[in-house]
Parts: sequence; C-alpha cells; structure tokens
Amino acid sequence: MRNLPESLRNTLLIARRQFGAIRQDGTVLFLLGLVVALGLVAVLGARHHETNEAGQRARYQGIVDQQWVDQPERHPHRVIHYGFLVFRDQAPLEFVDPGISDYTGTSIFLEGHRQNTANFGEARHSTGTSRFGRLTPASVLALLLPLLVVVAGFAAVSAEREGGTLGVLLTQGATPAQILAGKVLATGAVGALATLPVALAVAVTAGPGLDSAASAMRLGTLAAIYGIYLAGWVLVTVLVSAVRTSSRSALAQLLALWVVICVAAPRVAASVAGALYPLPSRAELTAQVEAALNEVGDSHRPDDPFFRSLREEYLERYQVDAVEDLPVNWRGVLSRESESLTSRVFEDHRQELVEGHLRQNGVMAWAGLLSPYLAARDLSMGIAGSGPEAMEAFLAQAEAHRYTIIQRLNELHIHEIRNENDRAQRLAREHWGQFPVFGTEPPPLDGMLANRPLSLAALGLWIGLPLTGLGLARRRLALIGTERSS
Amino acid sequence: MRAWARLLALDLRRLTRSAGTAAAIILLLVLGVYVAWRAGRNVEAAQTSSTAAETAYDDQLDFLLSVYPPATDAGEVLYYLAFPAPQPPLAVSSLARGRAAVETESLRIRLLALEGQLYEHETVNPRLAAAGYLDLAFLLIALLPLFIIAVSYDLVSGEREGGTWNLVRLFAPPRRLLVAKLASRAVLVGAVAAVVMAAGALMAGVGLDGRAGWMFALVALHTVFWFALCLGVAMGNRSSTANAMILAGIWVVLTILAPAALSLANSVLHPVPEALELTVQQRQGYHEAWDLPPSATMASFYRDYPEWSDQEVPEDVFTWGWYYAMNHRGDQAARDASRAYREVLRQRDAWARRWSVFAPPLATQLALDRLARTDLMAQLDYQDAVRRFHERLKDHFFPHFFATTPIDAVVWDDVPTFEPAAPADSAARAGFPAAIVLILGSGLALGVGARRARP
Repeated sequence: MRNLPESLRNTLLIARRQFGAIRQDGTVLFLLGLVVALGLVAVLGARHHETNEAGQRARYQGIVDQQWVDQPERHPHRVIHYGFLVFRDQAPLEFVDPGISDYTGTSIFLEGHRQNTANFGEARHSTGTSRFGRLTPASVLALLLPLLVVVAGFAAVSAEREGGTLGVLLTQGATPAQILAGKVLATGAVGALATLPVALAVAVTAGPGLDSAASAMRLGTLAAIYGIYLAGWVLVTVLVSAVRTSSRSALAQLLALWVVICVAAPRVAASVAGALYPLPSRAELTAQVEAALNEVGDSHRPDDPFFRSLREEYLERYQVDAVEDLPVNWRGVLSRESESLTSRVFEDHRQELVEGHLRQNGVMAWAGLLSPYLAARDLSMGIAGSGPEAMEAFLAQAEAHRYTIIQRLNELHIHEIRNENDRAQRLAREHWGQFPVFGTEPPPLDGMLANRPLSLAALGLWIGLPLTGLGLARRRLALIGTERSS
Repeated sequence: MRAWARLLALDLRRLTRSAGTAAAIILLLVLGVYVAWRAGRNVEAAQTSSTAAETAYDDQLDFLLSVYPPATDAGEVLYYLAFPAPQPPLAVSSLARGRAAVETESLRIRLLALEGQLYEHETVNPRLAAAGYLDLAFLLIALLPLFIIAVSYDLVSGEREGGTWNLVRLFAPPRRLLVAKLASRAVLVGAVAAVVMAAGALMAGVGLDGRAGWMFALVALHTVFWFALCLGVAMGNRSSTANAMILAGIWVVLTILAPAALSLANSVLHPVPEALELTVQQRQGYHEAWDLPPSATMASFYRDYPEWSDQEVPEDVFTWGWYYAMNHRGDQAARDASRAYREVLRQRDAWARRWSVFAPPLATQLALDRLARTDLMAQLDYQDAVRRFHERLKDHFFPHFFATTPIDAVVWDDVPTFEPAAPADSAARAGFPAAIVLILGSGLALGVGARRARP
C-alpha cells in the first residue's frame, strides 16, 4: 500500500477502517449471512421448480406430439377440431427472474374456428402467500440486498461525525472526497460479498444449460444490471449518511426510501397504469368477439350472405351448376375461407388487448424513472427472457402455428376429400407425421435492451444523481471539518 | 386526568410537528383515498363484467334464433350458445383483492365438455399483476405497520438519547409517560386507519355485515399487534438505530420474506402436473369417441346418467345426443385429473394457512382474502357452482337432444339459470384463527419485551 499514490492510499485506508467497523457489527454480519443463505435457497428452490416445470411440460408435449402422430385415419375436419396443445418453453434464465411468467399461461389449446387463451399459469395455482411473489434469486438481489447495503452503510459518515472522528480524519490529511470514496468502497464491498455467492450459485446451476455464448451473454448482462443497481444503492446510502445530521435519521430516511422504491412504487405504478388504461374484462371481450363473428358470418349456416357469394364465385370459376360438381371439395373451401375470416377477428381483438398491455407497460417504464427497482426488474426480466415481449412472442407464434396447421388441414380437405359422401372419408395416417412441430423462439437479447431505453436511462440516473449529490456533499463535509477544527 | 390529557395533546403535537411523520400521514391518506376510489371502480367493473355475460347470452340467443330456421335441431344451436354464470360481486371483494384481479367470476359456458371451459382467466396484464396489487388490505397490512414502526421505534430510546428521559421522569412515573406516548401514537395511527377504512367502505358501498365487521376487526387487531411488537422492542435498553433495524427486520421477515419463502416451498412441495394432465385427458377422451361406435360412448354416458339408459342413439347417423355424450366422455376422462388438481390446490391452501400462523400479517392477509371471498377456495367454490350449473343445463337439454326437439319447441325462458356459489364457511370461522394468532402474537411480543426490559 505504501507505493500507491496518496489519494488512493487514503481512500483505501478509510475503506479498511470502515470495513473493520462493519466487521465488528453483529447486525450486519447476521444480515449478510441471512441474505446469502436466502439467496442460495432461492437459487436452489427456483432451479428445482424450473426443472420440475420444464420436465412436466416436456413430458406432456411429448405425449401430445405422439398422440398427434398416432391418430387413426381421420377426416381432416375432425383433426381441425382435435387441434393441438402447445406448451411454453421456459425462458433461458427464467429461474433467476421469472418476470411475468407466473401470470401467463403455460399451455394453449390450438383448434379450428377458435382462439383460446393460454391457461394455467403458476399464479392460478397460488394461494394468497404469493402477494409478494415467490422467493427468487431476482427478488433477493433487487429487494433484499439493498436493505443489507443500507444497514451496512447508513452510519458510514454520520457515525464519524457523531463520534467526532470526522474532523480528526480531515485534519490528518484525508480529503472529503477520499473519505466518501473510502466509505463507498467499504459499503460496496459488503454488497459484493453478499452478491458474489448468489451470482456464483446462479452461474453454477445455470451452467449445465448454458450451451451457447448467447446464454453466457445473458448471464453477464444480468450481472451488470444488478451490479449497477446495487452500486446505486451504495452511493445513495453513503450520500444520505453524509448529509443527515444523525445516524438515526439517516437510517430512517434510507429505510423509508427503500419502502417507497421497492415496495410501494411498483404497486402504485401498476395500479395507476390499470386505472389510466383499463382493459375490457374477459366477459366483455368474448362478447365483443362473438358479436364480430356474427357479423362476419358462419360457413356452417346455410344462408349466410358472404358464403353465398363465395359459392357463386366458385360455380362460375369452374363452370358448374352445383357445388357437388366442383373438382375441389366445397366444404373444405368453406372451412378455409371461414377460418381466414374468423382468425382475423380473433387476431384483431387480441391485438387490441396487446396494445392495451403495451400502453400500461409504458406507464410502468416511466415509473422506472421514479423507482430504480422497477427499472432494474424490467431490464432483468427482459434479459432473462421472461418479460412481456417473450410471452407475446409465444402467443403470436402459437397463433401462427395454429393458422398454418388448420389451413393445411383445410387444403387436405379441399384436395384429398371428394365432394360426395364427404364426412365418411378418412385421410391415411401418414399425413399426420408430415405436420410441422411447434417450437418457440425466445426474442434475441440485443432487442431486449434496445426496447427499454427508459429503464436504461433510469439506471443511469440512479448512478448519476447520487454521484452528483456526493460531489455536492463533499463541499459540506469539508465545511464541517473546518468548523470542527476552528 | 387533566394532566394526562395535556400530556397526550402535547405529545401528539410534538409527533405531528416532525416533517417525516407529517409526510407519512399525508402519503397514507392520499394512497388510502386513491385505493378506496379504485375499490369503487372494481365493484363497478365486476358489475359490468357480470352484466356483459348476461347481455351477451341474450344477444347471442336472439341472433341464433333469428338466423336459424325454426326446425333446426336444438343441439345445433346450443353448440354456439354460451350460458352466463356470473357470480354476483361482493362489495368487500374490492377491499382485499386476493386473486380477484386474475380470476374471472363471469364465465360463460357451453354444453360442450366443461373442463376445457372452466379455466379461462381475466384479461389481466401479466406485467401489472407481477408488480403486485395495491388494495386496501395491502395499505393496512403491509404499509401501515411501517408507519407504526416509524413513530414508535424510539419511544423510550429517543428520550434517553435526547437526554430528556431522566428529566421527564422527575415529573411523571415512567409507566404513565410510556402509556401517554403510546396512546398519542395509537390515536394518530387509529385515526389514519379509520379514515382509510371509512373511505374504502364508503366508496365501495360496503354494508356493515359480518364479513366486513370481521375484516375491520382483523385490521384493528393487526394494528394492535404491531404496536405490541414496537412496544416490546422499544422497552429494551437498546439504541434507537438498533430498534429501527430490529423492527424493520421483523417487518421484512413477516411481510415479505415469510410469504415469499412459503410460496416457493409450496410450489416445490405441491407441484400441479394435474393441470396439464386434465387438459390432455379431456381432449383425448372426447376426440377418441369419434373413432368409436356411438354405442360405446353411450354405454359410458349411461353409467353417469342411468335415468337415460333407455334412450338409444342410432349407430350410423350423427345425432346431437351422441355428440354431447362424446363431450361428456371428455369430462369423464379428465375427471380423475381434475379431482387431483383441486385436491392439490386445497393442499396448497391448507398448507399455506397452517404455516401462516408463524407470520401474523400473512395470517391476517389470508383471512382477509377469505372473508372477501377472493382466495383460492372461493375460486374453487365458484368452479364447483359452475359445474353444478353445467349439470343442470345437461339435465335440462339432454331430453331435447334425444327427442331431437327443434329450436322453436324449446321454451327458452325455462332454461336453468346460474346459482351462485355460497360462501363455504361463516365469517367467524374465516376470521377467528387469524384473530387468535394476532392476540397470541401481541401477547408474546409484549411478554418477551417486558422480560427483556427488566434490569
């Protein structure tokens, strides 16, 4: 340490002094142990839960795929109603941050004529205990670690002032900047001590699943986000400790800040977002869809205007007098056209709902500027692949898959089934093996960060504002020093 | 007596003069009024949703009867018709939302296999749901205790550190002083809580029945519990900062950590593969029937409905009786998985309830949700009511299917209507265990505190 420049040496000395004081503090040590233990439990528990879920979904997807291929000879329209069940693959790092996945469905039944909702999210199976979410690595990092930082650092500067040692430090040649930097270093070290085991556990448990560089990138980015977020807490803690007159009021203020940022703000933001942009209820939405479908018409109904004109068009095109004489299967044509119409109705209404969600999510993004917790979680769920866009991608891909399969079955109906005695005919089993298999593609990582400029800006502010504050506090600290020494 | 009142007034003035306390009071009141307003909106929304289900049924029936020829088989029109099953919203449900934001209690069901229709949920934005719900229960169970902690963590230590303790002890016995300080804080907190609860009850239109009464009583007991905890800690010989850290730590453990850890443990201990199982089974059970002779399907149908076993369906032509019997076969196939699914959910609920006795705020929260009928059990009760409704609809319409009744011969006004789920347990049974937990918890906190306080 002797060969270091003086400013750095002083900073490190202050940090060592502060770290020594923290090491004597039973409360901090106890909390450190508790947070690390909870972090490890969270990692193991979440990983177990995820593996269990993934296993279940894979098992049932396997069963459903097999059932599809094993279908007997069937009429294609029968198969349209038989439909297909798809299960959402888990996000790459869903066990670290489950994001919104507990509140989205895990399976969708894809069938003709209808667009079903994704059912059975974890929240549907949860008791009232899930009000504060499950214990996950993300909640330990974003919710609990800041508390540890606060408890470790609230007295960092104020205790020196109360004990009269601040003046001594200043007269011995330490500048206010060096003192503050040293305090930040020591407090940050405690945060790092708690974070590292949890981060390591995440890396180790995620390890076996990390087959690509992309997943490693995700882990790295996640670490950076939480690093920045916690660094902000360290800076704010030392800042408050430096400007408050007593340790007691510094602690009270920091705890109040934690409650506002981590507990109250997310809920207030969500509530306001819901009040500003209310969504139609499920009952209203299904009623709207039903009314729109009635407008569109129904191929099953004999005298529907749209389908009557379609019929005339086909009769003219093929120069025949009755649909039974068409070279293609008329029922199949009807079904295809009807599917194309009804799909549009379903998609339009789903899109409307998605737009409502996006407007509400916009409020949440702005709220991130007031609550860095929200911003950090927003980025974290994006990187983990469990954010809104990943769920939306799943729904969109499931709908695309549904439409492809149904229309392919309709084409089989049109070309492989004769008009006469339509319903009695069957397609050979070989057909079933030739359908595409469903697979979700998680959205790429780079889009995730680009989609969240507000959250990135919020984290920037979360570092920038307290740094500026510390710069200003430095002058006041020097002033106090002169008062004391004069 | 007058001296006592003066002491109280003096302390109240001293309390409210602090900028932090004033800010907290204003924040709580503003949030309280906002939450009360939201509660009113929730009641309206639930009403709208249940009306929408009813209207949609009427509209759809009118539409179908207008476009289908009168001689159409009832079975064909019933394929499209969804019957409304709206549970009349309870006003108290808007105060403790529980799962109400996620679940819908305005389902509409068709005569098709039921298991595929029971699990539709509300159009909730998952991003908002994941952030947590802000309702009156959250404000009073989670946030209000923080205010109690903020005004009472330095009850004794503040005076001691300020050097005033020995001074004031000269003029009043310490116990009376402590009681006076505690009373002024209780008045303040009680006033804030009362304003917030009154606003909520007023805006949501909550009548003072047993459920609402128990809810307010539990909130009051919960407030007392936190005062007892604060007093228990404050009586000790510690510094103000130590008290603040201990109380904040207790709050974090009881309000956030314990529920989160219980949720994790619950999901690990009680996995629910049955949810996926029943979906797969129902679909397979129904569709397999298309590849079987109708007599095979009817045989299994008659097992559940022996009263119709004399009704035969032809083997070679499509009949609606057979069609809906095939749908019933889907429900039959899913029956075991569905029972097991509900059983796991009941286990989860009972397990959470059992362990919540160690975290009184959580026990209170769960009791409030149960009183407000927004908990998991209320949802299962609702699903059971929908099941019964579906059965009654089947009882009503199957004779029509077997007789191939045309739609103009169906008396649509005689169609059974939904009978709402009745609360499974009385208000007292729902609230009592939490009340006991809170009273015992308060006693424990005071007892431990008093023992520690003795030199």
